[in-house]
Amino acid sequence: MLLFFFAIPVLFIFYYSLGYKPDIFHTIATDNLSLGRYSESFSETFRSVFTGTLQISLIGTTLCLLIGFPFAYWLAVRVPPKWRGVLLGLTIVPFWTNFLVRTLGWLILLQPNGPLSGSMQAIGLISNPLQVLDTRSAVQLGVVYNYLPLMIFPLFVALDRLDPALREASKDLGANRWRTFRQVTLPLAMPGVVAGLLLVFIPLTGDYITASVLGGAKGNMVGALVASQFNTAQNWALGSAMAVILIFMILGSVAIFGGLGLIARTLIRRARRVELVPEPA
Amino acid sequence: MSTTAILRPRRDPVNGLLLLWGILVFVFLFLPILIIVIYSFNDGRALVVWDHFGFGSYHRAVINQTIRSAVWTSVRAALGASVIATVIGSLAGIALARRPGKWTIGFLALVFLVLVTPEVVDAISLLIWYVRIGGPFGPSNTLVNYGLVRLWVGHAIFASAVVTLIVRARLAGLDESLEEASGDLYASPAQTFRQITLPLMMPAVLAGALLAFSLSLDNTIISSFVSTPNASPWPVYIFSAVRAVLRPEIAAMSTLVLLLTLFALALTALVIRRTGASGEETAALLAGVESAPRSGVPSSAL
Repeated sequence: MLLFFFAIPVLFIFYYSLGYKPDIFHTIATDNLSLGRYSESFSETFRSVFTGTLQISLIGTTLCLLIGFPFAYWLAVRVPPKWRGVLLGLTIVPFWTNFLVRTLGWLILLQPNGPLSGSMQAIGLISNPLQVLDTRSAVQLGVVYNYLPLMIFPLFVALDRLDPALREASKDLGANRWRTFRQVTLPLAMPGVVAGLLLVFIPLTGDYITASVLGGAKGNMVGALVASQFNTAQNWALGSAMAVILIFMILGSVAIFGGLGLIARTLIRRARRVELVPEPA
Repeated sequence: MSTTAILRPRRDPVNGLLLLWGILVFVFLFLPILIIVIYSFNDGRALVVWDHFGFGSYHRAVINQTIRSAVWTSVRAALGASVIATVIGSLAGIALARRPGKWTIGFLALVFLVLVTPEVVDAISLLIWYVRIGGPFGPSNTLVNYGLVRLWVGHAIFASAVVTLIVRARLAGLDESLEEASGDLYASPAQTFRQITLPLMMPAVLAGALLAFSLSLDNTIISSFVSTPNASPWPVYIFSAVRAVLRPEIAAMSTLVLLLTLFALALTALVIRRTGASGEETAALLAGVESAPRSGVPSSAL
């Protein structure tokens, strides 16, 4: 079934991306295949959307990791086990709330005359009404919020599996807190970090719903371009070409960062003469 | 645990900072949801502008035919999609874990591709495909609402890949000798499956089904491409309202849906707890991060 409803349809996109839009009444023609749609996609206007999307998703993924890691660590290690189930349950509630609805929550919060703006003015944090909506910052905030749970869960699982005895052993061997974290906890949590990064980065790059709710015209993501080519402009060939570029943008980023990660790991391994850490599974 | 308490100084600034961070993240996570619940009592014309307190929006949401049918479509789509995804994903997971062969790598690559493909690509490819093959996915299908069939398949694709991995991880963490012992004790393969394999993999299947259900309820992008006017799910309704006009009815119905979801979640958690799982395991299960076999690979690790 995956083959029939996934592989073949996606191959069609590649095929359609080589086609063109014959006239205003038809969406696609493939009798004259060319790479013309790709050069169209790389024109000035569209290119800025591609780089903008990549920027938002890279910053967003990094922020998710920076916010999610201490939180997952706290939840998995420092919270008394008695409370852990309840708190983890609470973390799941936003995940189970419709993500469009959560985004609407931010839409209300960030209104220039909304609650956040009002309370920030009241305590003197800002003097003028909040002007965040329809900017890149709003989009950035929205995506970090929406994809944070996807970062927390795998991190939690990885840190939760980590035997506390390992950290104590490290302490007993004279390592200070920072060193224990760097050489025991972090390497062992690495599978969770990688899973979280992938789980956040991939859907975030393709997402355009959050951006179009909070960012207005400024929140133009590649996904929105593809969608508008299919829904409004009815130019399926151009839309398909953009979709193909999006796929390669994601695969390319994953490959580049995966490669960089591997190189970094090798370098660190080489720099340490004594391997203190057991191999992560 | 007692050793940890002795080793760790009582007043630890790092602990305090982490606690503060934890609370801040919780506030961050719950603030928008809280706002939606509060604004669902906004008795004005527009959702984002607070007028005065009242229950009018709930009344208007419940009597609104379009809203009701949108939510109903969502529920039906999610039920269908999670059944399809659970059956296909479980079978694929069993096959991967118990009968590996040459096809395994190719199949895993396909599953991986499904997981890394951005949703909007899935969406447009399905649209093209549905239009091309027609049949049960086109207007000629008079048996079932074809918009619903489109949603079932569309939502089930990604979910079945997720279920496959969860079930595979669970079975890989289980000892196959249990099944062999059952065979040695003269159980037929069907009996072994029913009495040994199925109960053991049940938590993973349940987690997968729940995840599939929630993914389908949440799905906006695929739905907005493939849905038809007479089977338009709830998120698509909200998304079109964002572009037109947002009324408090949306917040009201969202609050009701949220309450129902929480109720269903609590019920499921209770059922899982009955089977003897700890609170932590239960919560992990509901998040789709099936953590029961400690030796297994993280199931959500792609």
